[in-house]
Amino acid sequence: MSTDPASPVLRIEGLVKRYGPHLVIDGVDLDVTAGQVVVFVGPSGTGKSTLLRCVNGLEDIQGGRILFEGQPVLSRSSAIHAVRRRIGMIFQSFNLYPHLTALQNVTLAPVKVLGEPSKEVEERARGLFRKVRLEHRAHAFPSQLSGGEQQRVAIARALAMNPHLLMFDEPTSALDPETVGDVLAVMEDLAREGRTMLVVTHEIGFARHVGDRMIFMDGGKIVEDRPPEEMIANPENPRTRQFLGSILHH
Amino acid sequence: MSSQVAAYWYVFLKGVGITLWISWLALILGGAVGLVIGLLRIAPWAAVRWAAIVYIEVFRSVPPLVLFFGCFYGLSYAMKLDLSPFSAATIALTLTASALMAEVVRAGIESVTRGQWEAALSQGMTYPQVFRYVVWPQAIRVMLPPSVGVYISTLKDSSLASIIGYVELTKSGLLVRESTGISFEVLLIIAILYFVINYSISLVGAALERRFKYVH
Repeated sequence: MSTDPASPVLRIEGLVKRYGPHLVIDGVDLDVTAGQVVVFVGPSGTGKSTLLRCVNGLEDIQGGRILFEGQPVLSRSSAIHAVRRRIGMIFQSFNLYPHLTALQNVTLAPVKVLGEPSKEVEERARGLFRKVRLEHRAHAFPSQLSGGEQQRVAIARALAMNPHLLMFDEPTSALDPETVGDVLAVMEDLAREGRTMLVVTHEIGFARHVGDRMIFMDGGKIVEDRPPEEMIANPENPRTRQFLGSILHH
Repeated sequence: MSSQVAAYWYVFLKGVGITLWISWLALILGGAVGLVIGLLRIAPWAAVRWAAIVYIEVFRSVPPLVLFFGCFYGLSYAMKLDLSPFSAATIALTLTASALMAEVVRAGIESVTRGQWEAALSQGMTYPQVFRYVVWPQAIRVMLPPSVGVYISTLKDSSLASIIGYVELTKSGLLVRESTGISFEVLLIIAILYFVINYSISLVGAALERRFKYVH
């Protein structure tokens, strides 16, 4: 993607997130440069999903700052809408709009939010349906699609906005095992295109084959941040070792 | 049917027309006011929410009959207004209908999951855009069946307008009873007419509900 490689797409400095007295993110620093695929792993409840939700302002933050393409992300400012338009988010529970067809799910925001001509958007959407291998399902409603198909529509919906960053929040956790592979295959294609991606997942295989960086989080902190092969082969931190051991040998 | 009562068919017909008109008017006004109150009911400001709750609880607790008297005599007296029975009845019906519709609106909007808001917001939509393109089209499907119920109960409440001298269907029947001296037959006709109207509304509501289903 065409960003100055010297400046990071995303910069997080000293991020703190609390829910009441409960500290969810405890001082996270992170730089992500264009084209990187960063995979977050760790026990549940350690702030991985919350971190993604802070990046596009779905959560407000209590300390530190987030810069997306140099601009501060402020959940309560009116500039947040412009930031979100450039960040695609894929949710664990898909969250497709149930009253619209798959195609309409993909075209809604580009037409209504970006104000693009619907003919052009539809054209682009058809291309996206080919990319996620669902060209035959464009006119189905979400309720008629399997979980894996819904998630691929959700990916197409995010791509339709031409985002500069894609965030996947446990994209395969709610899927039947037989449809997980289809979703991961699409995500792998996107990574090979050079897209910048943040992925929260328990799919260690995906992290190993596709990820550029693997980040192990625990207790709201980044414990280890290394190339996946290295971290999986030789985890430095005892907590990382214990966690990877538990999910690799279950 | 005795020919004596049958001779008054046009009185019944006119009564049906007026009952449909005033209850429809009250539903439209009540729907509009109810939408506003329902939105205030889930507003992010506590004071506004409380005001909406008070409105809803008051006007759905006070019996319609009391509201009819209150509007006709009370409002006329307190505000030095010379309200016609029609105006007073419309206001009274609107107050009740709007309180009921506010709850329907609230339930409809709250039925749309948080995930829908988040998906739409994360695409860069503003709150009004999320509401218009994502939340409202889903909420309205949930709102439809109870709205039909509100309409039917508004239509039945409109019979109470007879008490302040407004000549709708019930009052028309009572007038026919006075001129003919025939009670049972007249009341039976009134009951049948109400049933036919309300059952038709139910059927239309059910048809709309089928059309609004996501998948055909």
